[in-house]
Amino acid sequence: MDALLLYLGPVILLFIVLGFVTYAILAERKVIGWIQGRIGPNQVGPWGLLQTVADILKLLIKEDTIPKNADRSLFKLAPILAFVPSFAVLAVMPFSSRIQFANIGVGLLYYMAISSITTIGILIGGWASNNKYALLGGMRSAAQMISYEIPLVLSVVGIVLTVGSLNLNEIVAAQQKTWFVFPQIIGFVVFIIASVSELNRTPFDLPEAESELVAGYHVEYSGFRFAFFMLAEYVYIFAMSSLTTVLFLGGWNAPFGLTFLPGIVWFIIKFALVVFFLYWVRATMPRIRVDQLMQFAWKVLLPLALANIVITTLLKEVPFFTLYY
Amino acid sequence: MNAEFFAFSILSVFAIGGAVFFLNSVRVMHMAISLAFTFFSLAGIYFLLQAEFLAVVQVLIYAGGISILMIFGIMLTKPEEGSPGRSFQYHQWISLATIISFFVIIMVIIYQSPIFTPAEKVSSPSVQQIGSILFKQYAIPFELASILLLVALIGAIVLARKEQK
Repeated sequence: MDALLLYLGPVILLFIVLGFVTYAILAERKVIGWIQGRIGPNQVGPWGLLQTVADILKLLIKEDTIPKNADRSLFKLAPILAFVPSFAVLAVMPFSSRIQFANIGVGLLYYMAISSITTIGILIGGWASNNKYALLGGMRSAAQMISYEIPLVLSVVGIVLTVGSLNLNEIVAAQQKTWFVFPQIIGFVVFIIASVSELNRTPFDLPEAESELVAGYHVEYSGFRFAFFMLAEYVYIFAMSSLTTVLFLGGWNAPFGLTFLPGIVWFIIKFALVVFFLYWVRATMPRIRVDQLMQFAWKVLLPLALANIVITTLLKEVPFFTLYY
Repeated sequence: MNAEFFAFSILSVFAIGGAVFFLNSVRVMHMAISLAFTFFSLAGIYFLLQAEFLAVVQVLIYAGGISILMIFGIMLTKPEEGSPGRSFQYHQWISLATIISFFVIIMVIIYQSPIFTPAEKVSSPSVQQIGSILFKQYAIPFELASILLLVALIGAIVLARKEQK
């Protein structure tokens, strides 16, 4: 039974993630529609429920075009390199006290390390297309993802210091009384901003700024290769929202001792809140300029994250605060 | 043949294959990708040796950071640029001599180290253990390495400044 679950589990997770992506796209369009006073997709199926299915079907039966001057092998490799890490990071995610695939000691660092591989896929995709807009989009994306990865990693150091472990299970277990969103509020704010940027979403969607770069690094891609880039983006939303829940919102722990709901339900509720927040931000904020983007990462977020580390180490020694740090 | 041996064979073939592709590629971009592939396979071998922290850091710094930096630099060059001209004959002989001496040194070190004695049960070191050894026992070399990196960083800034003028 256990061996069967070991092999079938990832397949089931893949289907759950694909289902999530299908309806996350629809929910995003609906939510943004409502915020902007529109109805959103409502023609395909009841309440537009089959809209994304139709979109994906259209992408899959499209002609697979590769530009004449493109580097063919790298052009084909790039979507795979972008997608595989996005699914691989889910291996260490503890969805509840029992549902987890790999309980490794350095789970948090594993997430950060594997997710950086996606940048290579985006860069190659931009370069191999042999198109100046794709190249510019790829360059912007790499610069942005490298810059924001540093505050992202540093913002969670406070949690690592508090728990004394990089294991995601131990981080969740340490939040049984207080969620880290309260003592680590600076780290939380930095983490949320940096994660929105890592996800390449508005207000940080410069790599694919459609009004200035056509579509950024995937301008030459069509059909299922384009779908793979989009899939990677939405699987990262899944992964990043799970990580936010695990690190700052207490994972599967129930708030106020409301344990009549099982842990996985609490996880899903918190996870859905984080995903909704991402849609909300996208519908509200305008895109920031490329020079502001870099300045913001290096001159605002990085010092804040460093200050958070210093404050955490100091408060760890103060008598009253040792309860929380 | 157990699973560990199987995984090791695949990973080592990947690592060596990446290195061979690196040497045989014509385009610089392909070289960078194959190098990243080799780095990633090495991380897999570290995982097999139960050095989780080392494996993850290998992915984070080599497969992630350094590869992206190289690709980023290469992207700014023209993609049409073909292979550089063949190097001189004596140059190749020097390379061969260096490689052979390097191989001999590595082999001597391997045979002198107690790898071939039956190993006792090794537990994988935790991050705490690595950290405390690094910051207590090897604090001075660690700080010296960070000063070296800082000097390199300042050097890069100075070079970039000079080019601007």
